[in-house]
Amino acid sequence: MKILIIEDERELVQVMQSSLEKENHLVESASDFHTALDKIISYEYDCILLDLMLPGGDGLDLLTEIKKLKKQDAVIIISARDAVDDKVLGLDLGADDYLAKPFHLAELNARVKSAIRRRKQHGEQHISWRNMLVDPENRTVFIEQKELVLNRKEFDLLYYFVTNPERLMTKTSIAEYVWGDHTDQADSLDFVYSQIKNLRKKLGNAGADADIQAVYGVGYKMI
Amino acid sequence: MKKRSLKNYTLRYLVVAILVLIALWAALFYWFIIEEVYDNIDDGLKDSELRIMKQIKSRPELLKTGEYGIAQFRFIPLAPGDYSEDRHIYNSTMYMPYEDDDEPVRILQSIFEENGQYYQLEIYTSTVEEDELLHNLLTALVVLYLALVASITIINHFILKRAWTPFYRLLKQLKEFKIGRGQQIEKPNGDVREFDEIHRELQAMIMRSEEMYAQQKQFIANASHELQTPIAIATNKLELLMEESELSEAQLVRIDDINKTLQRMKRLNRSLLMLSQIDNRQFQTSETVIFNRLIREVLSELQILSSHKNIQITTQEQGVFSIQINRDLAVILMNNLLKNAMVHNTEKGEVHIRITNTELSVHNSGEKPLDPNKIFHRFYKDKQNPNSTGLGLAIVQSIVKLYPPLSVSYHFDKGHHFRLRQ
Repeated sequence: MKILIIEDERELVQVMQSSLEKENHLVESASDFHTALDKIISYEYDCILLDLMLPGGDGLDLLTEIKKLKKQDAVIIISARDAVDDKVLGLDLGADDYLAKPFHLAELNARVKSAIRRRKQHGEQHISWRNMLVDPENRTVFIEQKELVLNRKEFDLLYYFVTNPERLMTKTSIAEYVWGDHTDQADSLDFVYSQIKNLRKKLGNAGADADIQAVYGVGYKMI
Repeated sequence: MKKRSLKNYTLRYLVVAILVLIALWAALFYWFIIEEVYDNIDDGLKDSELRIMKQIKSRPELLKTGEYGIAQFRFIPLAPGDYSEDRHIYNSTMYMPYEDDDEPVRILQSIFEENGQYYQLEIYTSTVEEDELLHNLLTALVVLYLALVASITIINHFILKRAWTPFYRLLKQLKEFKIGRGQQIEKPNGDVREFDEIHRELQAMIMRSEEMYAQQKQFIANASHELQTPIAIATNKLELLMEESELSEAQLVRIDDINKTLQRMKRLNRSLLMLSQIDNRQFQTSETVIFNRLIREVLSELQILSSHKNIQITTQEQGVFSIQINRDLAVILMNNLLKNAMVHNTEKGEVHIRITNTELSVHNSGEKPLDPNKIFHRFYKDKQNPNSTGLGLAIVQSIVKLYPPLSVSYHFDKGHHFRLRQ
């Protein structure tokens, strides 16, 4: 997939680019308003990551331009402003998602994949890994055509893993993705442990080829 | 010590000052009058003496007047001896049949020689009337004093009250003044220069404070914003680093520790940003939010936390608590309150929620009371929980302050009680 990062912080661009390239995306970047506009007009992207504060103009204006051009690119706003109005306005203007800085790279992956999948009406709607088929729209999981019933949190957890296969996911990142704001507690990492234990058991019982491995004490990896 | 009002303060000093002045004046006046009166009486007595002495020459039998009779004098023959002829006047009392009592008199006593015999002449005159004069004088002074005090009190009450009206109006406005609302202090009417000066200085001071306050708020918001990007870069770089395969376990664990610290910083920064957004009133829209339903939603989100700590949650709905509020803020409000009740709880503790039409209370087990004056302050922290940002309840209070008459309070009674009231 082709992704455009519009962001003026060079270091952030680099690190996002490295991470997305690991997922075999083709990544380009633009660091100011006009370069970004040129690229949007000249090329087709599957997903555009858009920072709102740019040299030379407001990211929201860029979003308006994208919509005017009737581009099919998925747009995810990435902003440090984190103002409620920006979020509402951005989504109203047609952005697919809104990700507040700072974020986890794994979360960026998950969001990018979701946004691209939702854009492609006639494409593959399922995400598959090994003998597992995850349908994010209906929130169902099939293992060799047999449905595996998961509760809400277990599904979120599995979805986070299948959008980041074979990558190290830290416990903090997992806790934040699945339980959001409630992860500021010392024992939040224990939740992660017990939830993953449950999920592994369910996957194992259902005969999934995939497994979630603990990586020392710091996180997990789906293989 | 209870302080007096301005009015009573001036009155107290005036009353004492007038009392002292009147007393001094009365003493002087009395002394002066008495001098004058005795001078008069003494002149009269001396005049009588002169006339009696003249009379003796022609009517020696007068010398036989040994007792005060109709005449107000008597002669007392003295035993032979050597007397100096002198005269003195003194006060005394004498029985008056008319009054049937001893009455004050002034007596002139003089010694003289007549045909080789010494006599003592005594002339008296009643001073009853002079005493009454003093009496009357004192009464008059007391009346004057009371009249003065009364009139000053009345003047104070009406005139001073009117003169100070602009002052009290300024005071009332200052009492109601809250920073950050762009309130203005009204110019006082009336033609007292000092009040206009106070108003001008107050207005200038308020402008400065408002400006500082706005700058400070803006500074917190900007600082939090500017920190987001560096935190993002650092976090993401560490995450990429952790994926490199040649790292040992020990290295990985250490990198993760740094990462966890960064996450703490991220949460702290987000909470500060949230606080400044609430204080800057960035949550404008509002709708009727039914808290009974909201609580069920928030509790299901927090279920992982409560089941992890084996906390028993009971909800008692005796009414419907609903207010006009921004939905996101209502969620944050309840989330922070309920999460607080679970986190600062004992193992296998309880959370009890009671809802009525006007009140929503959250009670949870706990052993030590917290300081109710500081609990809603920023960075007031439970030392046992190093991960807490110390901003959760500060956010609760900031939200509550946006929606008067909504209020939140804390008290300790066999556990922690938080009460939302409208």
